[in-house]
Amino acid sequence: MTEPLVLQQKLDLPAAAPLAEELKARLDSDVVVDVGQVTQIGALCLQVLLSAATSLKAADHSMSLINVNDRVVEQLAQMGFSPETVAEGRV
Amino acid sequence: MSEQNDPMAEIRASFFIECEELLEALQDGLQELDEGGDDPETINVVFRAVHSIKGGAGAFGLEALVRFAHRFETVMDEVRGGRMTPDADTMKLFFLAADHVSDLVRACRDEAPIPESTSEELLARLDELLGDEVETEEADASDFTPLGFSMSLDLPDLEPEGSTFEIRFKPEQELFATGNEPATLLRNLCALGEATVRCNSSELPDLEDLAAEAPYIEWNITLKTEAAEAEVRDIFEFVDGLCVLEITSTSPDAGDDVPDVDIDAGIEVPAVLEVVAPSPSQPSAPVSKKSTKDSGEEAGGEPESKKGTAPAAKSVVRVDLERIERLVNLVGELVINQAMLSQSLDQAGLSPHSDAMNGLEEFQRLTRDIQDSVMMIRAQPVKSLFQRMSRIVREASAAVEKDVRLVTEGEATEVDKTVIERLADPLTHMIRNAVDHGLEKSDTRLANGKSRAGTVTLMAAHRSGRVIIEVTDDGAGINRERVFEIAVAKGLVPPDAQLSDGEIDNLLFLPGFSTASQVSALSGRGVGMDVVKTSIQSLGGRITISSEAGKGTKFSISLPLTLAVLDGMVVNVAGETLVLPLNVVVETLSLGPEDVQMLRPGAYVVRVRGGFVPLYDLGVMLGYRAHRKTDAGAIVLLISLDDGSRAALVIDGIQDQRQVVIKGLDDSFYRAPGIAAATILGDGQIALILDPADVIAGMGNPRGADIMLSERKIANE
Repeated sequence: MTEPLVLQQKLDLPAAAPLAEELKARLDSDVVVDVGQVTQIGALCLQVLLSAATSLKAADHSMSLINVNDRVVEQLAQMGFSPETVAEGRV
Repeated sequence: MSEQNDPMAEIRASFFIECEELLEALQDGLQELDEGGDDPETINVVFRAVHSIKGGAGAFGLEALVRFAHRFETVMDEVRGGRMTPDADTMKLFFLAADHVSDLVRACRDEAPIPESTSEELLARLDELLGDEVETEEADASDFTPLGFSMSLDLPDLEPEGSTFEIRFKPEQELFATGNEPATLLRNLCALGEATVRCNSSELPDLEDLAAEAPYIEWNITLKTEAAEAEVRDIFEFVDGLCVLEITSTSPDAGDDVPDVDIDAGIEVPAVLEVVAPSPSQPSAPVSKKSTKDSGEEAGGEPESKKGTAPAAKSVVRVDLERIERLVNLVGELVINQAMLSQSLDQAGLSPHSDAMNGLEEFQRLTRDIQDSVMMIRAQPVKSLFQRMSRIVREASAAVEKDVRLVTEGEATEVDKTVIERLADPLTHMIRNAVDHGLEKSDTRLANGKSRAGTVTLMAAHRSGRVIIEVTDDGAGINRERVFEIAVAKGLVPPDAQLSDGEIDNLLFLPGFSTASQVSALSGRGVGMDVVKTSIQSLGGRITISSEAGKGTKFSISLPLTLAVLDGMVVNVAGETLVLPLNVVVETLSLGPEDVQMLRPGAYVVRVRGGFVPLYDLGVMLGYRAHRKTDAGAIVLLISLDDGSRAALVIDGIQDQRQVVIKGLDDSFYRAPGIAAATILGDGQIALILDPADVIAGMGNPRGADIMLSERKIANE
């Protein structure tokens, strides 16, 4: 397994495209996403994570979120997700 | 990501521009409330302005601003809900708070230190107004400070308690591009009550096909809340038109905002609000499209159908000032170029009726139209400037403990943007002077049979191609004896000088003059009016004083409409080509021998329609030639100056009347008296643009002293 992908603090509009690029480069194995530093997660980055999880799942890999703090849980919940459902991908 | 291309930076910049507008609306609203306006719409405007600033600030994590605006908004909400009636002191606090919001906005924009202590002090005072209610609000505000904006939950409304809303929310790409974030919206929605959020991501492609900045997902939310539908819609206020939004209320009787048009549910129009067909039990209204500036009460806003229409075009385009500057410069070049072309066609000896000449005429008209349009782009109403001044009045009057009312007139008068910016300092100073020196103390006013509160009037108007700005106070007027004494004491005038009232008034403009026997915090440091005068002059303007003992003082500033182009009269003097501003030229005469009369050696007057006007030879004044024996046969321009005085200038010939582009003279040229700027004529020749008032002021003065000269100059202006 490769190193965890450590996400930056603010996952807002400018963060979405770089995040997608980083994840694209990691589609060939299981991905561990470290959200420990994240203070703000926006819808676009959520999409990227969901989409990546979907692609990974299709390729029989998995995605998991680690170091999930309360803030992330709460923000995901407000968008209708939990760290686990994000890792499940598209619904 | 590079700084220039950072979309967030751009959005951030436009947020601050929007803030300026919102602050303006806020000031306006407060002003109206202060004047006793009880239109519920006014308080709504105020509330919205603060709310919008808070919303935007939240999106950029401007915590200090959010925190302050939130509490301010809470108080406003109390007023809006009719639970609080602001008295005079409360209004003062509101003004202070509004000023502070504007300080915070600026501090955030410039990334300057946040004035925390003022925030705390004002917050404490706002809290006092709120009493106990602040406790619950506090918890709300601190919850998610960087992004939080929550609505207070206790708004009375027509909605019955405990409604349930079904909300479908699908962001469009524009929503993100304008700096909005669904996560924030959803969070605010969740804050309203008990929300069940379901995300539909079925359209989401695999990562390979994903465009990272395009929206694919939508949300369905079931919200149980005590809040009114209007409040729910409020949350989406900033993304109105940027998303598909359906709000269906499942509560009965919320029937005050049934849309006018019945529309089938489920029609998807990109970037357009969708409207669900209302049934008696399920009323729903589209979020009405409102600009944040004039947005009104949610329940009262007329629902508008957006079906099948493109998103309403934005009526405002924000353009970088630099681009406009470039355009202005280019148009300037165009004007010069057109002059050159017309000159060469002239020289080619073409008939005035030839096609080329006709075409040229058309071209000239177009150039002028373009010119005017470009100037209009740069023009801005002086309102923002005046609003800043009302703050100055509030602060200044508080500092010297006087009751002062600011009356503004002609706020819509448009002035070149540069002029507005550069007027702020001088006006501030003049307003402070009016409050500090102009107006008497309240007891003195009452003793003199005046109202307790002094009035300072700030007026702007267009007058004959110039902008006039007047600062008038209804104070005691200039104490001329005292002014004279001080001037003598400071060695500015000889003790035996005989000065007219106007001349004494103008002593105020001398460097180093200050009448305040006590130096107050506000003014009286002796750097006052001469600096004001210099800055007004640097704008090509003049300032005059008129004062009446016991009635008040009026400072009048007259400015050119634009700093870029001038309608000029091109004249010849002693072989030089000069340009005079056309607006000062009243008429032209040719001199007969009997028209000129000598007053005393070296001083001549010319008879014009039964009156006498001082006659000056422009060539002599500018040092181009020596006195001639006779001016007979010469051409005379009769000019009228701002103070109403007239003068006659002897010139050799008139070449043309035309628009000239003003080219400022660099600092490396010393400021020659009488020369305002330069221009490039059609033949490529450079001509100086004269400032007639300055030229005449510089003319031989019988008393000779330099001080007298400068003061004369003012008197003549």
